[in-house]
Amino acid sequence: MQNAQRWERVAASLDEADRLYSKPRSFASDVWFRFRHKPTALVGLIIIALLILFAVAGPYLTPYGYDDQNTKLANIPAVMSVYPAPDGQYIYITKALKLIEVDTSGHLVRQLKKGKDDSKNKVTVFPYKDDMTVTLDYTEQPVTIQDQNGNRIEKARTVWNRSYLLGTDHLGRDILSRLMYGTRISLLVAFIAALVNMIIGIFYGGISGYLGGRVDAVMMRIVDIIATIPLTLYVILIKVCLDDGMISIIIALSSVYWVDMARVVRGQVLSLKNQEFVMAARTIGSSTSTILTRHLIPNAMGPILVTVTMLIPSAIFMEAFMSFIGIGIAPPLASLGTMCNDATDALRTNPYQLFLPALVICFIMFAFNFVGDGLRDALDPKLKK
Amino acid sequence: MAKYLIKRVAMMIITLFLIALLTFVLMHAVPGGPFTSDKQVSKAVLDALNEKYRLNDPLWKQFVDYLGGLVRLDLGPSFKYQGKTVNDFINNGLPYSARLGAVTLVFVLLASIPMGIVSALKNGKWQDMLVMAIATIGVTIPSFVIATALIYIFSFKLGWTPMYGVDSWKGYILPMIAMGGYSVSFLARLMRSSLLDVMGQDYIRTARAKGISETRVVVKHALRNAMIPVVTVLGPTVANLLTGSFVIEKIFAIPGMGGYFVNSVTQRDYTTILGMTVFYAAFLIAMVFIVDLFYCLIDPRIKFD
Repeated sequence: MQNAQRWERVAASLDEADRLYSKPRSFASDVWFRFRHKPTALVGLIIIALLILFAVAGPYLTPYGYDDQNTKLANIPAVMSVYPAPDGQYIYITKALKLIEVDTSGHLVRQLKKGKDDSKNKVTVFPYKDDMTVTLDYTEQPVTIQDQNGNRIEKARTVWNRSYLLGTDHLGRDILSRLMYGTRISLLVAFIAALVNMIIGIFYGGISGYLGGRVDAVMMRIVDIIATIPLTLYVILIKVCLDDGMISIIIALSSVYWVDMARVVRGQVLSLKNQEFVMAARTIGSSTSTILTRHLIPNAMGPILVTVTMLIPSAIFMEAFMSFIGIGIAPPLASLGTMCNDATDALRTNPYQLFLPALVICFIMFAFNFVGDGLRDALDPKLKK
Repeated sequence: MAKYLIKRVAMMIITLFLIALLTFVLMHAVPGGPFTSDKQVSKAVLDALNEKYRLNDPLWKQFVDYLGGLVRLDLGPSFKYQGKTVNDFINNGLPYSARLGAVTLVFVLLASIPMGIVSALKNGKWQDMLVMAIATIGVTIPSFVIATALIYIFSFKLGWTPMYGVDSWKGYILPMIAMGGYSVSFLARLMRSSLLDVMGQDYIRTARAKGISETRVVVKHALRNAMIPVVTVLGPTVANLLTGSFVIEKIFAIPGMGGYFVNSVTQRDYTTILGMTVFYAAFLIAMVFIVDLFYCLIDPRIKFD
């Protein structure tokens, strides 16, 4: 049927000849088509969505705040190897030789109080329930424990920590909750900084490129001077002058990173400003600001978006870097960088405290880099390597 | 040539002046004097301190004095450490930082360029995939994470390298990898795309058509041209290594300049921050200048103007 129709003679009217048989695709859907055919970019986008969900919705789901501390339950990992207690519960021995009672499902119940401490024979007796006791023998490593009858208790099994899903840090704070708040702060800082940089960069680069001539020369010379020095130094300097806190980090990051953006926008504007549509706009008497905001910048949006996506990971990186050398977010608030910094002292005994926030940072960096790459290829297939 | 050099040097001096001005203004915009955060001192002592460090002079005079000091390579006293000058810190730290920096730069070049070459010549094969995977990891993982992970694995678990310090040559290995990781990845990617680009050029086809061996085509005809973009980013690479050293020196407890700088930042030792920033800036500007000269030498198409 279909085929027979196709071979029929087309009516000789112009309307029919001009008809488009496939739906025209807009630029945006074209970009989306190319973007979603790149698996890494799509994975990156999904990871970003999950991270945002984790950071925004996560804190409502955990029972702990970022600063709820319980020093009695400090430095407990996510997976514990436990000893069976005399009554069928479990006992976990921390690295600091504290005994924690753990119930059969893996919830932490309490820290056992010390009873008699015999430092001569290097044993400590902990009274357990009723008249049961547990004796900790620390004469040699690894330590051993005995029940009230003097029988040695062997390690029974490994259980998940149900009270703190990812364990606790050196002050007994829930790492999962802190990761959520940390991701939230890191992403927030990065998004705001990227946005501010985008706005400053667009206007600076747009004006410089459009006006050209001496204005352009002076403005770009300033950019050159700023760009000579690594941005890290500026950010550190500005951060030193301001007080601790999120706002000052955002100010520090936003005040220097616009340089790249300004260069990108200027290059775009330079190449666009002599095209016919700009000339047409000028002919009908549009003002400079209208030409910039209505004609030039929307046309330069592709490279701008790519630069912004690449700016976000570098802002996150810089924030983590500053927090790591100790001039970042003020405690008890935590960003991923401060969490890494806090954990370096305990690297030997509790490496998980460092690796968890480090892993989240890596996820963020991977995701944004992939999305940035994908976006660049999708927006400008010519650039594809 | 001479005109170009004079122009560049003049530009460098102006840049350096502006940086000194900017940092000076920033450091004096900080609320409170440098001694206000100390434990309560009497007003007489405070006055004496201000007098000693000439903080009672008008700001412009302080700046002129400071510039005078810079010209004589005197960066002034430290506010936090009695009897120490910023020059002392630099003299103590520079040998360690310079050695680590030089070792890392050599490592970066020796690792990234062959990686890029292999990856470009084996485009699409497993070697290429491997190099690109390493490069992606190197670009995305922050140096302090690499550093701590390396310490944990190689020093703590395996015990092959010392945990900190650079007393033996082994101590340089981990800092070198952690500090250079990003630059290695970045340069390897750049080298790859640049070489791929060059290999598609007409003159490579001509060289092949002449019948010379593939090795000779790559070494004699392709590499020199492909190296040009790599040379241009050497300046920023040095800058990157330098700022990376802040964190790496802290993690590995290397008594270099980066450690002093970070220390002065956390202690808010304003004169030291100021002096070290100017020193770093001067060093970087000089490096970029040298790289630019070198760049003009290897690429005869670039004219001095």
